Amino acid sequence: MTDRAEAVKRVFTAKNSRVDTNRGERYYKELYVRCKKRIEELKSMESFGSKAELSEILSDEGYSRRDFMKWTSATTAMLMLPGFFEPLVAEAAEMMNRIPVIWVEYQDCAGNTEAFIRSDGPKIDDIILDIISLEFHETLMAPAGFQAERQLDDARETFKGKYLLFVEGAIPLAENGIYGTTGPAGETFIEQLTSLAADAAAIVAVGTCATFGGVPAASPNPTGAKGVMDVINGKPIINIPACPANPANMVGVILHYVLTGQIPELDSLLRPKFAFGYRIHDNCERRAHFDAGEFVEEWGDEGAKNNFCLYKMGCKGPMTFNNCSIIRYNESVSWPVGVGHGCIGCSEPDFWDKYAYERPMADANIKAPAGGVEKSVDEFGLGILTATGIGIAIHAAASLFAGKKSDGEDAS
Amino acid sequence: MTATGRVIHWINAICILTAVITGLYIAHPYYQTLIADPAVDKYVMAWNRWIHFIGAIILDVTLIVIAYLYFFSRFEKAYKKLIPTGKNVKEFFEVIFNLLTFNRRKRFDSTHRDSFNVVYFAILHLLLVWMLFTGLQLYVQGLESGLSSIGKWWPALLHNATDWTIAATGGTLMDVRISHHTTMWWIVSWVVFHIYYQIWRTIYWQEGDIAIVFGGSKYVEKRR
Repeated sequence: MTDRAEAVKRVFTAKNSRVDTNRGERYYKELYVRCKKRIEELKSMESFGSKAELSEILSDEGYSRRDFMKWTSATTAMLMLPGFFEPLVAEAAEMMNRIPVIWVEYQDCAGNTEAFIRSDGPKIDDIILDIISLEFHETLMAPAGFQAERQLDDARETFKGKYLLFVEGAIPLAENGIYGTTGPAGETFIEQLTSLAADAAAIVAVGTCATFGGVPAASPNPTGAKGVMDVINGKPIINIPACPANPANMVGVILHYVLTGQIPELDSLLRPKFAFGYRIHDNCERRAHFDAGEFVEEWGDEGAKNNFCLYKMGCKGPMTFNNCSIIRYNESVSWPVGVGHGCIGCSEPDFWDKYAYERPMADANIKAPAGGVEKSVDEFGLGILTATGIGIAIHAAASLFAGKKSDGEDAS
Repeated sequence: MTATGRVIHWINAICILTAVITGLYIAHPYYQTLIADPAVDKYVMAWNRWIHFIGAIILDVTLIVIAYLYFFSRFEKAYKKLIPTGKNVKEFFEVIFNLLTFNRRKRFDSTHRDSFNVVYFAILHLLLVWMLFTGLQLYVQGLESGLSSIGKWWPALLHNATDWTIAATGGTLMDVRISHHTTMWWIVSWVVFHIYYQIWRTIYWQEGDIAIVFGGSKYVEKRR
């Protein structure tokens, strides 16, 4: 009953997901002044993270100032800010080591961590994520056990109310959360998350598991996995879904926070609009083939060799909002559709059950609303039609058998 | 049936048929285009979508007209037969009994629209209204820039009017799509029974019911 009441409430409180790409000159001028002030404040602070200057690290990795400025232009555009913000964005990138970050992992595969630490050569996005003041990160740090716990407690005390809490992975809630415990004391994920969230400035849920439950929450969801926004109340939450979340979008969110001291504008699913305000389909390099009706019919066929549209192979670009088709992965090297596999809608809620099948929606096996056997949408529809047809056939046959006869008279 | 009613009927029939044919292609392109043709000449999916949208927009307009006629028609105001008064409920079941007894029992006035007919059509109208909202929600997903050729108000209006369908169908954009597609099958089944029932009535009642939608009237023998 409460579920139904909640569902009704959601229907009437659903937020508008419209993107406002241009808010007018006056707004941006005021924003510029505010951001400038904020950067000056950060400059006067001591850095917690890497002591080395960003420019030195970049040149050590083989990036010139020019490469950095190109990255700055792209990032400014990605954040939907006008061109005159570029110098500020560059300064903000240099100030990123002033923001303490605690990164925790729950039911996940560490894929989002992998996404930003592992590439053939670190890209500028990765380097910038490397220099943030990462106070605690189970996968990357040296200490373990009680030492690691002490590190976490220290970080929490020192930066109380200031740190950004990055959460990767879903939170199991079934049977009081015993499906996931962390640390030598066997603290459950939900306990640790609740206490860490209480002292955080804001929470960034990274990857689809942390945002919507993702793969752990896929049917039948034995561990009762949920995303952060379903278990934490009263804190600003930013969702960066996708599997893995694009490092460019992680940098974008942190940069926005450094720049303005606020979280970016979010859509109805708490995803930053600068990244999730675009539909993959509308910026897809294969879109022309979609409109032309040129589809890959099976893997490796003539259409596949000609980069035809992957819609019939189950591409979910038309119902997925993300900026992959614009900024791609690994500094615009490639992305799934670019290498010939359709989008599986990994940045949408319930993606594993409702998007990630290699067929168009009409052929997808989905659960009937009442549960039960999985049927494809079209099989279900043809079932309704067949039932109608059988009913009609029976009635028609019976009518023929009964013959024409009306009220109060005999058959003639 | 008034002339307006007949015009609306055939516009709806053609639009529903068009929307089903093109909609099935959009959901799962069931014929291939020739690979040798350059993409610019084909535009097959785009035409299918264009025809689907035009059909849908015409349906949306006739739906508004129908909604108006439900209450303000100068002839038979349909809403009067929808109110579950004792008389209407009795008539509704009498018509069903008539169908189930193969015309052995016919105890209602068949010279005018009966309660069963009005309810059955109201079901179609509700299905079409649902298609209107879910369809426009699918449509506005392509206007994510917040801009359109007729101004910013259009996507904003569509979002405000249709975003609730996402939550109502299950919370994801895919649920809206699945619902839009499944509802199509309900409408097709509705049409199949509708056609059967009109033919059955014509044969068994012997009042020329099939002529209603062409000429506007039927022939009812005066009983003693």
